[in-house]
Amino acid sequence: MTSFAPPTRATTPRLRRLLLPAVAALAIGLSGCASSGTATESASGTGAAGGTLVIGAEQEPDCADWIATCAGNIWGSYTMRTPTLPSAFDTREVDGSWQLVASNLLAGEPTVEVRGDGKQVITYQINPEAVWSDGEPITGADFVYTGLEIRDGDDIFDKTGYALIESIEAPDEKTAVVTMSEEYGNWRVLFSGDYSLLPQHLLEGQDRAAIMKDGYDFSGGPWKIDAWTKGESVTLVPNENYWGEQPKLSQVTFQFITDTAAAFQALKSGQVQALYPTPQLDALSQIEAGVPNTNIEVDPASGNLEALWVNNEAAPFDSVAVRQALAFAIDRPAIVERLYGKLGVSEAQQSFLTPLNGDFASDEFSQYTLDLDKVDELMTGDGWAKNADGVWAKGDQVAEFRVTSHAGNKRRELTEQVLQAQLKDAGFSLTIANATGADIFSKLAPEGDFDLGLWTIIDTTPQPALAASFTQSAIPSAENGYSGINFVRTRIEGLDELLTTVERSVDPEVRREASLEAEKLIAEGIPGIPVATVPNILMTSERIGGPVAINPSEGPFWNLEEWTIG
Amino acid sequence: MFSYALRRLAYSIPVVLVGSFLLFWAVRVAFDPLGKLRQSPDPTVVEREITRLGLDRSIPEQYFLWLGGLFSGNWGISSRTGGEVLPMIGAAAWPTLQLIFWGVLIGSLIALAVGAYSAVKQYSVADYVFTAASYLGIALPAFWFGLLLIQVFGVWPVQSLGASEPPLFFVGLHSVGSSGLNWDYLRHLVLPVATLTITLVASWSRFGRASMLDALSSEYVRTARAKGVPRRQVVVRHALRNSLAPFITVVLLDAGVLFGGLVVTEQIFSIPGMGKLLLDSLLAGDAFVLLPWMLLVALAIVVFNLLADLSYAFLDPRVKLR
Repeated sequence: MTSFAPPTRATTPRLRRLLLPAVAALAIGLSGCASSGTATESASGTGAAGGTLVIGAEQEPDCADWIATCAGNIWGSYTMRTPTLPSAFDTREVDGSWQLVASNLLAGEPTVEVRGDGKQVITYQINPEAVWSDGEPITGADFVYTGLEIRDGDDIFDKTGYALIESIEAPDEKTAVVTMSEEYGNWRVLFSGDYSLLPQHLLEGQDRAAIMKDGYDFSGGPWKIDAWTKGESVTLVPNENYWGEQPKLSQVTFQFITDTAAAFQALKSGQVQALYPTPQLDALSQIEAGVPNTNIEVDPASGNLEALWVNNEAAPFDSVAVRQALAFAIDRPAIVERLYGKLGVSEAQQSFLTPLNGDFASDEFSQYTLDLDKVDELMTGDGWAKNADGVWAKGDQVAEFRVTSHAGNKRRELTEQVLQAQLKDAGFSLTIANATGADIFSKLAPEGDFDLGLWTIIDTTPQPALAASFTQSAIPSAENGYSGINFVRTRIEGLDELLTTVERSVDPEVRREASLEAEKLIAEGIPGIPVATVPNILMTSERIGGPVAINPSEGPFWNLEEWTIG
Repeated sequence: MFSYALRRLAYSIPVVLVGSFLLFWAVRVAFDPLGKLRQSPDPTVVEREITRLGLDRSIPEQYFLWLGGLFSGNWGISSRTGGEVLPMIGAAAWPTLQLIFWGVLIGSLIALAVGAYSAVKQYSVADYVFTAASYLGIALPAFWFGLLLIQVFGVWPVQSLGASEPPLFFVGLHSVGSSGLNWDYLRHLVLPVATLTITLVASWSRFGRASMLDALSSEYVRTARAKGVPRRQVVVRHALRNSLAPFITVVLLDAGVLFGGLVVTEQIFSIPGMGKLLLDSLLAGDAFVLLPWMLLVALAIVVFNLLADLSYAFLDPRVKLR
């Protein structure tokens, strides 16, 4: 699934953390204890079973009714959903790429069949040992309940995929059969990714929102919620009836500390033992200043992509040549270096698919490097000439435009300032016109009232979903009630078919080929310009043992049951 | 005095009503209660909420709906959390009231002592030192001072002295699993209260000094001195007591403002109070929390104003309330 992120984590739905290049940690040079890592590396700490751990959490989830609109917050997944509820698939690194693999909820990989009538049938076999915390078995009825709640319920955050469910049946206790009305290549995200399985025997016929909104006492994962004190903390304790590996720690508390400086001080003083800070500039400064006795993992393989979104209908960007000239006018590696150089990250992103979906991505945008001669060639070829101020002009039209991002986001404001300087050198005049996240995503972007936008696209599962951003049916308009997130209003011939194939086909190779073709068209049409993947940073006390590693889809606490504290 | 208080409260009602309507209008214009929902890929969600919340009605209609809900205990649903607003505000008010209680209590006592001493020892070295310190205290940004305290009392003992834990905590008002008035609470309370009181003491002590100087130069003090009343008695019984009325008035007025004004302190110390609720709600455009929040803060200011007037009359018999 893909969503757009307002600039601060506090206001971001499905906010995904960044991951970054492992090499980065070497450059950090902070406390002399930085370590880089991939998803398989271990932290240095060791510890015996038992013990309690306190983790600083940047955000508090708004609610714990995970399928409802109030639950669009990634910290909710980190703190409660992932540790307490089972999913059909987990995101794991296989052969160097992130993939959805069947979890221990299932007895094995589901069978998938596309019938002659075009309908797709998915059969899940549930692990015979899988039980809820009250000892009741996890059954096909739980799939039926969850799937239909999402498909048919009110106040559901996202029905993508579920809307295609024609029926769900449970022919026996440990089997669930889902029939999709048409082929759906992203079927692995069902009961996975942003959603988990819910217990039918406890929720059916009840007010689900009321039971779950403020936390719940059931579990189908290694942990269960012991307490959620609003504004303060969430505490997890082991689910003794969990059928998988039991947690080694006896208690984990997520303490909400929203002030970055205070969070770092809390880590330094030992009041918390782990942090997962957004790489805003203040956090990077804190890291650079040094955090003793702390392991720091920096991972660039994130699901967060910061990009420059170009309104293809707004002059002068209604010309492909001008959009291409814009791409040649920007020194993206210099921006990345300025933003994340302290972490050792300087590679620009070359695709709108994040590293989480790297299997489907190409590096087509690598053709766009800073080249002012190319800018001149493209602009003059399109009938533009520089005026007395050194700005491109064509008749009455001057190449002056705005960039809009989230006011108050220092990282993006810095990016805008660098862009302003770079574009001036190329003969473009850029002004900064920032707004609140709510305004951007509820008014400006849907109504097309922007020239350039700077915000983040977020992949929460290793399944490509660019159709939502670039197909013509997703262009918001008065006619469709301003729904859809093709805010850039791009219409690239042939792209819709390719992206639909990527989304729908169940043949992995067909999907990949279609995706690579789509990448070429996107790079030629320039509906936007990818700038950087936002790195993920995990900071843990040396007392913590692991494996401790970042998962770009499930976050850094995906394997909390394996953590120890010494 | 009781009837005076009732009359004052009655006079405040139209003021609060007019103010609340302007507030409602401003918030509804400035914030989209469905801003977050509009990011949902399902447009029917937004349509449903518009109808359910009555957002398709006129602003005056919406205002009276909202006001009626306030009186009936239905304060609405937070667009951010999906939870009821009333318990949210109740939960946020309690930590803030604790901070205000301790901050005002400790701050006023220190300020009064400092102010009185400075006045009695006017132009002494101590007076100059206190004056300089108060200007410094007024100028100190709360976020900087709070972080400085955290560094000195929270981080430094652990990082440099090798302490197993900091002597003073700075995350929340309790450790996880702890509650009530206990040692853990005190260890959490000291730094945020110190951050809060430094500014209060700085400004109140200046006021206390001025008030005390007025009292010391008044005729009744000169008379008392002329009559040979001992100096300590003159200062404490006559001057200090009479300087209390204006001093406490200022303290109470400030206390009312503090109810919604602890944003920085609560943010730094991760205290889930009214200030933090304001910040979270502003960032989320959560209009249905912002409205009662602002109304409550306004009411707090009205009530503390009233208390200030009443205290003035209580402490100074020359003042008659009508």
